[in-house]
Amino acid sequence: MLPVKALATAAALLGLAGALAPAARAGDLIITAAKPDRLYVIDAAARSVRAQFRIPDAGNGVATIVMSPNGRIAYALVDKMERIVGIDVRTGKTVFRAELSQSGERVKDFFGFTLTPDGRELIAYELPVLLKPSEYVVEEPRFAVFRTNAGLDARPVRSFPAPRRVHVLLMRPSGQSFYAIGFDVYEYDVHSGKLLGTRGIIHWDLPGHSQPDLLAFWPVTEPTGVFTSPISSEVKTAGGSEPRGGLMLLDLASGALKFQDFESVATVIFSSVLAPDRKTAYGAYTTLSKIDVERGALAQRVDLDHTYYSINVATDGHELYVGGAMCDVAFYDPATLAKRAALKLPGCGDQTLASLRVVHER
Amino acid sequence: MSELKPTNPKAELLLEAVAEGHAPEVLAMESVAGCATTFDPGWEVDMFGGTASLCQPMEADLYGCSDPCWWPAQVPDTMNTYPDWNAGKPSAQDDWRELDAVFPKK
Repeated sequence: MLPVKALATAAALLGLAGALAPAARAGDLIITAAKPDRLYVIDAAARSVRAQFRIPDAGNGVATIVMSPNGRIAYALVDKMERIVGIDVRTGKTVFRAELSQSGERVKDFFGFTLTPDGRELIAYELPVLLKPSEYVVEEPRFAVFRTNAGLDARPVRSFPAPRRVHVLLMRPSGQSFYAIGFDVYEYDVHSGKLLGTRGIIHWDLPGHSQPDLLAFWPVTEPTGVFTSPISSEVKTAGGSEPRGGLMLLDLASGALKFQDFESVATVIFSSVLAPDRKTAYGAYTTLSKIDVERGALAQRVDLDHTYYSINVATDGHELYVGGAMCDVAFYDPATLAKRAALKLPGCGDQTLASLRVVHER
Repeated sequence: MSELKPTNPKAELLLEAVAEGHAPEVLAMESVAGCATTFDPGWEVDMFGGTASLCQPMEADLYGCSDPCWWPAQVPDTMNTYPDWNAGKPSAQDDWRELDAVFPKK
């Protein structure tokens, strides 16, 4: 394998990196990352890695990836969740860098950050701890707002209080407010930091349902603008109760929040995505699940070759992409759930919890 | 709880909460000063009490657990205390033989 820098340079010389701009083939680009410090740009139609870049000082790897609204900058949470960097996916150049931790204060961002629709501000979820000589002082969580044009030494321009146990931040298309997904769904004003509303997840009010369990680390909302996550709870039945699996669906534009059971829990689903027709959702883990959202029923399930944490769908809905955990991205037929291909990432580092994002070239 | 004796202020607070009937308000915090962010039982069983729904293979899940300190009893704390535990070993499936045990620093 060529050194990353050389490969990127060769790609640039051949005009391949430049092909990310409106030129050549229009289609989906899949953005993912793998240990120790690689960011990958995959041409979905060609089933090939168009570019791979080394993220400087990535530490133990990449977690959340959020794409800029124009699809050109991949913002990545790296280095033990203490730094957010912005990487130009055409050149690999680092254009943004925010050190969350400062001298004497260690700050972790457990996965959650988002961007305003104009791409000018980045909001990060911060869990700060003061490191004193003889004790650690746990400070209150906060949202910190950065300007994305601040370069490589970005500092927060404002911050405001946040709840604990938040893992996903999702900007609403209006740019006026964002959702924080944790024990509940919180909505905050982007500018004032005011809590605009809280709707229940752990405090939901679904008749016959126990408190739910939700695992939500993957902030995928493309292509529909709807965030989905598997959710499970114990549901009362005539003979007692049974564990039921369901979906949480949060429409970022309308604000509609829906919980829908679809099966008696038989397997684990880590992440899910809603298809463009909004009638079908798909979930991944050790199996690939197809969920009929309209009827609230499991439509089909097949085994995957190995565990994949994350799932996404083609912008036009014609293909499913699964990634995360190990070092390949696999392509599946959404109609039959038949495997079409798998692409092994150069270097074969584990993707672990890296987000699997899709950008549509225009 | 009468069998347990607190050994630090936090444990004393927990005991007080139990005595005052506030124990349900005591919840796990995340990333306070290391791992222990969750109370999952580990790789031994899945949520159904079996093994069918664990990651396949187990190595697929190893770094996904160590990175966010998911199961502190089974993997070193790479977020804070042992950040280099898997440095130079990017693939758990290929590199697991080279992963060492860790010991408290003196």
